[in-house]
Amino acid sequence: MTEPSERLTGNWDVEALLSDALRPIEPPERLSSRVEDTLAAVTQAAAEELSDWADELSEAELRALRDPRNWVRPVVAVGAGGVATGALVLLELRRRSRQQSKSGLRALTSELRSRL
Amino acid sequence: MSGPEQNVEPAELAPAAKADLDRAFEGFYRAHLRDVYSYAYYRVGNHHDAEDLTEQAFLQAYRHFDRARRESDGRPLRPWVIRIAHNLASNYYRDRSRRPQTPLENADPIATRHDTEAIAEGREELRQVIEHLDRLPDDRREALIMRFALGMDNREIARAMDRSDGATKVLIHRAIKQLQEEMEDDGAE
Repeated sequence: MTEPSERLTGNWDVEALLSDALRPIEPPERLSSRVEDTLAAVTQAAAEELSDWADELSEAELRALRDPRNWVRPVVAVGAGGVATGALVLLELRRRSRQQSKSGLRALTSELRSRL
Repeated sequence: MSGPEQNVEPAELAPAAKADLDRAFEGFYRAHLRDVYSYAYYRVGNHHDAEDLTEQAFLQAYRHFDRARRESDGRPLRPWVIRIAHNLASNYYRDRSRRPQTPLENADPIATRHDTEAIAEGREELRQVIEHLDRLPDDRREALIMRFALGMDNREIARAMDRSDGATKVLIHRAIKQLQEEMEDDGAE
């Protein structure tokens, strides 16, 4: 604690004063249970929400699998995917064949140049 | 740093992992409740808002606790939770355009002194130091609250304020010097 003489001469021991002024404050007892209750409620709500979401998803998936009307979409999707893949393969083969013919021309040209 | 960067909500964890997380958080919460509350109280200046702020800080801490533990590399998590409280307090001022109230009346920081005259003398000195503290720039005031109310060392304060150790040391030194000078100026008038 700062002595009165220090104050009179203006030599404040600021660190000692701060230690006295800024003491830790004990939280009220109700705060502890309040925070614990809130945390419990929040985690419970989050767990329930997650559980509900998972349940809904699995039931929807099961319903979709059982309903033959929904089988058309996957079949169409697989079919469309197959056609697209086939088209890509075809394009790639054509590209390679063009590349090969180009490189063949280049080889021929360079061979002729070397001969000349 | 270790572990993946993404944050996993506690509710998304497997039951055993969540139970482990909850146990760890309970210990963490009990260990730091007083620090967070003290910091909140000295920032906002009244018990009601300090309670709200403390609750919010621990709720936010809980959500990110798993990741914070993984990334802490064994370092104490006190600066991390104080930083959460610090950010919340900054939002509190920004949203409500408030300034902290003087916390001296309720804090009763000189309760251990018995002599009536000394109490009166001490109370006046403490009132002055609190008043001057309140006038300091935010970062200086917050660093002093962390140092003197929470007993944090330079390294912890640096982590809580996202500064280097050196910058924090300078900040605290300047804060004390400014406080000293302003109190001396007041005393000379």
